Amino acid sequence: MKNRLRVLRAERDWSQADLAQRLEVSRQSVNAIETGKFDPSLPLAFKLARLFETTIEAIFSDKK
Amino acid sequence: MSCTNNNPAARRYCKRLAVTLLIYALSLVLAIGIFLRCHPTGILAYALAVLPALPLIGLLAIFGLYLAEEKDEFQRFIGVQSMLWGIGGTLAVTTVWGFLESFVHIRHLNPSLDSVIFWIFVGISIPLLLARYR
Repeated sequence: MKNRLRVLRAERDWSQADLAQRLEVSRQSVNAIETGKFDPSLPLAFKLARLFETTIEAIFSDKK
Repeated sequence: MSCTNNNPAARRYCKRLAVTLLIYALSLVLAIGIFLRCHPTGILAYALAVLPALPLIGLLAIFGLYLAEEKDEFQRFIGVQSMLWGIGGTLAVTTVWGFLESFVHIRHLNPSLDSVIFWIFVGISIPLLLARYR
C-alpha cells in the first residue's frame, strides 16, 4: 500500500527513530510501513493519523 | 526481535530463553548421567527420558508468550513468519530424511532432533526476514 509517511515525517523533521518512539514501535516497523512492505493494522493506522493530525486516507492509498 | 534492543517483551523473552536453555542442558546432563551410571527402569526411566524434552517444549511456550506480550505488530509478524519457516523447514528436512532412510538406508534421524532443526530454521529466518523488510 502506498503512503505519505516519508513526506509527513520530513515536514516535521522527524527521523524514522523519532516516529517509532512516538508510535511505541521499532524503527524497523516504521521503515517496513514507510516502504510499503508492511501494511499496519487499523489501530496503528489510526494512531498514525492522530499523530499527524490527519485522516487515514490522507496517509494511505490503495491505488496502484 | 533482538536481545540487544529496548523492547521489554524481547528482553523478557531472552531472559526466559537463557534460563530454559540452562535447564535443558542440566536436565540432559542429569538424564545421561543417571542412565549411564544407574540404569534406571520403570517409571523413573520414563520420567528421566522425558525430562530433557520438557524445556524444549517450554521454548515453544516462551515464544508464544513473547508473541502475546509483544506490542509491536511488525515484530509479532516477523515472529509468526519465523515460526512458519521453522515448521516448514523441519517438515521439509524430516520428510526428505525419512524417504532417504526408507530407500537408501541412511542413518536414522532421532525425532528428538526435530526441535533442534526447528529452532535452527527459526533462528536463520529472523535476520533474513528482517533484511527482506528493510
